[in-house]
Parts: sequence; structure tokens; C-alpha cells
Amino acid sequence: MSPNSGRRRFLKGTGAAGTIALAGCISSTDNDGDGTDTPTEGSDSTETESGDGTETQTEDGSDAGADVNVGMVYATGGLGDKSFNDMAQQGALQAEEQLGISFEEAQPEQNSDFIPAQRQFAESGDYDLISCIGFAQTDALTENADRYSDQHFQIVDSVVDTDNVASYVFKEEEGSFQVGHLAGLLTSQSFEAGQGSTDSDSTNVGFVGGVNAPLIQKFQAGFEAGVSYANEDVDVQSSYVGSFNDAATAREAALSMYDSGADIIYHASGASGLGVFQAAQERGKFAIGVDADQSRSEPDFADSIVASMVKRVDTAVFTAIENEVNGEFNGGSVTTLGLESDGVACVYGDALGDAIPQDVKDQIDASRQAIIDGEITVPTEP
Amino acid sequence: MDRTGLRRRATGVTVALLAIVSIWGILQPESAAGELFWTATETGTIESSLRLAVPIALTAIGGLYAEKSGIINIGLEGLLIISAFVSVLVTDLLGPGQSTGIPPVVTFDLGGSTYTIDPGLQLLIPNIWVGLAGGVVASMLLAFLFGVICIRYQADQIIAGLAVWLIALGLAPFAAKVVYGQPSTAQVGTFDNWTIPVLSEIPVAGEILFDASPMVIIMLVSVPVAWYGLNRTSFGYWVRASGENPKALDTVGVNVDRVRYAAVLISGFFSGIGGTALSLGAVGSFSGAGQTMVDGRGFIAIAAYLFGNYNPFGAFAASYLFSGLQALQIRLQGIAPTEVFLMLPYLVVVIVLVLVGRTRLPEAAGEHYESGED
Repeated sequence: MSPNSGRRRFLKGTGAAGTIALAGCISSTDNDGDGTDTPTEGSDSTETESGDGTETQTEDGSDAGADVNVGMVYATGGLGDKSFNDMAQQGALQAEEQLGISFEEAQPEQNSDFIPAQRQFAESGDYDLISCIGFAQTDALTENADRYSDQHFQIVDSVVDTDNVASYVFKEEEGSFQVGHLAGLLTSQSFEAGQGSTDSDSTNVGFVGGVNAPLIQKFQAGFEAGVSYANEDVDVQSSYVGSFNDAATAREAALSMYDSGADIIYHASGASGLGVFQAAQERGKFAIGVDADQSRSEPDFADSIVASMVKRVDTAVFTAIENEVNGEFNGGSVTTLGLESDGVACVYGDALGDAIPQDVKDQIDASRQAIIDGEITVPTEP
Repeated sequence: MDRTGLRRRATGVTVALLAIVSIWGILQPESAAGELFWTATETGTIESSLRLAVPIALTAIGGLYAEKSGIINIGLEGLLIISAFVSVLVTDLLGPGQSTGIPPVVTFDLGGSTYTIDPGLQLLIPNIWVGLAGGVVASMLLAFLFGVICIRYQADQIIAGLAVWLIALGLAPFAAKVVYGQPSTAQVGTFDNWTIPVLSEIPVAGEILFDASPMVIIMLVSVPVAWYGLNRTSFGYWVRASGENPKALDTVGVNVDRVRYAAVLISGFFSGIGGTALSLGAVGSFSGAGQTMVDGRGFIAIAAYLFGNYNPFGAFAASYLFSGLQALQIRLQGIAPTEVFLMLPYLVVVIVLVLVGRTRLPEAAGEHYESGED
């Protein structure tokens, strides 16, 4: 046998295997099983995707959502991230349960997959609302929203200024102010819980960001304002890792902060934040989680996570679906979810929350009310 | 030769820049350069830089062996990803924090009565080290596959290398999803520091070199060993000859393919330790979101060995330069605009690739060698 024919056979084999593997990747847009049980697209097919987009949905009582179909386009990282995407799915599941809607899911692998994923839903015309999760989808949606001008879209965490897109953003700075207030109060006193403790002599806290972009700067600005609201003398060290996936560098950043006196570090750095938790555990200090209650989603670090700044993505998704079901799709408008609407919140750690003194919690509650009442204005830029 | 000249000039400019910043910093401690210099020479920064250098430097050493032998392995990133994942997986499956005995106690059931073979004397290996071995084996297997495709089936090395990267980029998060239901793994803990008695008492250097993560110590030992292996052993001569003039090597009766397989496996070996150093060494888990936790280090390693001109010491110095910049940028974002610091490592890579990208490749690199005999 000549080496060439062997080579050809080998390449043919790998080619076939590769094609099958690729097919597996592409079909990753399938639903998660829950949504499959209602494929009846209704003989009447009263979807209003045709026409001028004015809502003419029938509202026949409690099960108004039965013929509403939602397409979820998740952020990269996919389901199982115990954070952003999982919370978005929570919102959709809640709507499925309470409103009787059905939904299908797409999990793009990278930013360039957003456009085709959104298009796949829009092109079929079977979806009343396409929900796009994460600010990375902004550009893709700006393009697709024009192209499919009769399709209703939702974007979470960003603003797309088009009539058929309902934008949902969060006041991250308000939630960050709350955890900053907490960090400032705790570093000013002797606080011991779990395996960590703060040093009352050194009043120092830290912030580790993912990528230095306006969105993450909101976290930093709110946190810094909260810290100085608690105690003007507290130093805040801030650093950006430059990536949401680089836990090793985030760990080094956090170690250097802890070693120069920081007691508590707040991170807004996605998967890099694991490095911050690791450093907190190594140094016997505290960390503050972000997006989800990370003392629950990362139970191995529960004894270091004193609180988390939670963004209720599920609220945003559910609200948008509810509006769609009620025929009140608010395209072109921006819904801002802050402390008042429970869109963001400071959630105490699962294991450490009970150890936080009541007077600290009272002060946090007081500042929350003050922000809602407008007595405190939280900056959005550091 | 103007190519060699360019490389010399690039190295010269780098050294001169470092010298200017250092001298300026020493003379004027209050200036920005002063802060830069004094922060860069702090014990904490040096330790940080060394830890960050480990995955890059080890991978660079592996990569330069492969390329010296004539196989350009741009799949290093994939080897890092697969070993970072497998090492955590193995540790987790065996039980984090526990030990595995070798040889194992074997128990089997035969018709109601149980027999136990107890070797009596067991060597207890902490599972985290078994995990390291698992990561290295996985990386070497993938490297071997790459070798078979490139050497046996004569595929284009660049395309095969890209395939290795893409396979690992898809496979590791997928396997994590199968096992853990999410693209990242559970937490399994990290290596404890090695403290070498007496030597660690030495001020500064002792703290940095002899009270460090085992991964840092492995890297510091690997650099001179790799240099010796490449420049002072007959295997090293074969590797270099295989990349420069495979026909001559073939003529003296050495099997070129076998030398190339060995060199590719060496790249898998070092990348395997590098990937493990990243997951088990730093964070204690693997996260597979986006570009995974490896985040481009395999490609920076390629730039590092090109910058270091295929010399393990040079590759280490280049890796340290990159990681040192990273360690500085997370400490000094206050004194210069963040963007400038975040850009620096990449800027250096670009400069390195433009100026030093003309580093003389081994003569036969990227070419398949076909021995006359069949």
C-alpha cells in the first residue's frame, strides 16, 4: 500500500468523524427537553409576526401565554454557568410555569454565533419574542432588529434603540454601592466569620474587574462610593484583569491586594472571579461575589464569600415575557431595574450571612432606602 | 546576516529600555519609572511573575523542542487546555485531598468468598500529583495524535496544529458538561508550597525560590535541564539535525521520524505540566467558558520561544518578561492609564512577532521528511 492511499483513507476517516462532530455542535441549539412537549404550532397559527406588529393577541384568561413562543439566545458560556445564563433560564422557566408559554434555547459558543442564532429564530417566524441575554449581543441585534423589523426582541444588559427591541438594563452601581457599604463597614471593625477575619487596624478593601469597559466601571464606581459612604478613610485598591476567563491572573491581583492590607475584595470579573475566591481562602480573608449568589453557586468558597451583588436577570426575562403575553410589548423603551424593583440586591453569604452584626445589616437597609428615596445619588463612573 | 541583526537589535532595544527604566527609577524613586522599578523588584511581584510565567515558560520549552526537530506545533494552546482539564478531572475522580497507594490493594469476589491482594508496602501518592500525571499523559496523547497526523500522514502542520487547538477547545468544556453539567469543574484544591529547609532561610532569594509552589520549582529546574538536553546530549543533536538537515541525519542512520515523534511528545510533556500548573497550581479548578482559563497562553508561549530564539533560557526570560508585565499591570493600574498596561503584554508580542518573527526558523521546519528507503 502506498503511503498516499493510507493517508487518503485516514483523512477521509477523520473528515467523516469531524463532520459528525461538527453536526453535534450545530445541533446545540436544540431545546432542553422542557420545551419540546408543546410542538403543536396550532392549526390556527394566530402568531402576529405578520402585519404591522401591532399586538392583536387574544387574551383568553389565565392561559393567555399558551400560544406565546419565546426564543432564548444565551450569552457565551452557555447554560450551567450558575450565573447569568442560568438565571435567564430561571426567568423563562418561571414564565413557562406561570404563564404557560413555551420556549426554545440557543447557546452560541462565541460572539460571531450571535447573528446566526438570532436569525435562526427570527427567520422561522414561530417566535413571538426573542430574548437576547448579555451585552455582547448588542451589535448582532442592532443588525438583526432592522432586518426583521416585525419581530419582537428583548435584550438584557444593553440598549438597542429600535422600535422592536425592548431593552432591560440594571443599575449595577446601586447594588455595588450596597456591597461597598458592607465592605466599608466590615473592614472598619473586627469581623470574624468562617475561616476569615478582617483587621480593624487596616481599613482597606479591593475591587477586581474583568475588562475595563463602561459596564464594569459602573460596578467599580458604585462600590467605591459605597465604601466611602461607610467610612471615608478606607482605601480602595482597584485592578482590571483584562479578561473574564483568566482566574490565574485574577488570583495574583487579589493576592497582591490582600498582601497589602485588603480585608475584602469585590469582583466583577466573571469566571476570573474564581481566582479571587481562591486567594481569599488562601489568605483567610473575604470576597464579595457578583451576578448570582456565589456562596451558593460556588459552595467550596462559601466560607469566604461574605455577600454577593445579585443581578436579577430572571426578573428581566420574566417581565419581558409577561409583557408579551399581555400584549404590552414595550419595544423601543429601556427598562431600568434597580434596588427599588429588586433588579439588583446585596445578598448575604449562605454560610457567613448570619455572622454579620445586625447593626451593620440595619445600616445597609437604611442606605438601600436612601438610594431608593433619592437621598443618595450613586455615580456610574469611577 | 540582517535577520540575525534584526533579532540582536530587538533584544538590544529591549535590554536598553529595561536599563533606562531601571536607572531612571533608581535615581528618581518618586517618578513613574521609579514606581515601576521598585514595584517590579518587590518580592511579592517577583513571586507573582514567576507563578504567572510557569505555564508560558514550560509550554515554550516544549514548543521549541518540537520546532527544533522540524515540527511546528501551534497546537500548544490545545495541549494546555486538555491537560488543565484532565488533571482536575483525575484529581476529582480519585478524591481531592486524599492519596492513592501504588501498588493498589486489589479485592475481588469469587463465588461468595472475597480475596484481597495486599502488597503490604504501598507508596502513597497524593491524588493531586496523580492528577498532574493524568494531565501530562492526556497532553502527550493529544501531542502524539498530532505527531501521527503530521509525520505519518504528512498533513500540513499549521492546519493540524489549529485542529489540535480547536479539538481541545471544544472537547474540554464538553467533557466538563458531561461530567459536571456545566463547562467548568468542581474545586479540588491546589498544590501546597514546597519549603526547602535551610535554603528558604536566605533573605529574599530563599523566600522567592525555595518557599514556592512546586510548579515554580519544576519550571526553574526544567529550564537548565532542557537547555542541557538540547545542546549537550546526542539526542539534542539529533533534534537539531532533524530540523536543520534531516537528510544528513538519515544518512548517518538515525530515524528522523522517530526523533520527531520524541520531540513532539516532549512538547506534550512540558505543556502538560504547564496546563496543570494553571488549573491545579493556581485555581484548583478548570473553567471552560469562552477561550477557557488558558486564555491564549499557548500562543504567547510560541511568541516567547521565538523571542528567546529557541534557547530554553531565552524562552524563560521572554516568558518572565510577559508575566512580569502582567504582574506589574495588575499592581500599577493607578499610575498609568489602565488601557496602556493591559495593552503592554500584547504590544510586546506584536513587536516581538514583527521584529523577531524573522527569527531564523530551522531549515526544514514545517516540511515533511521522506526517507528514501521504503
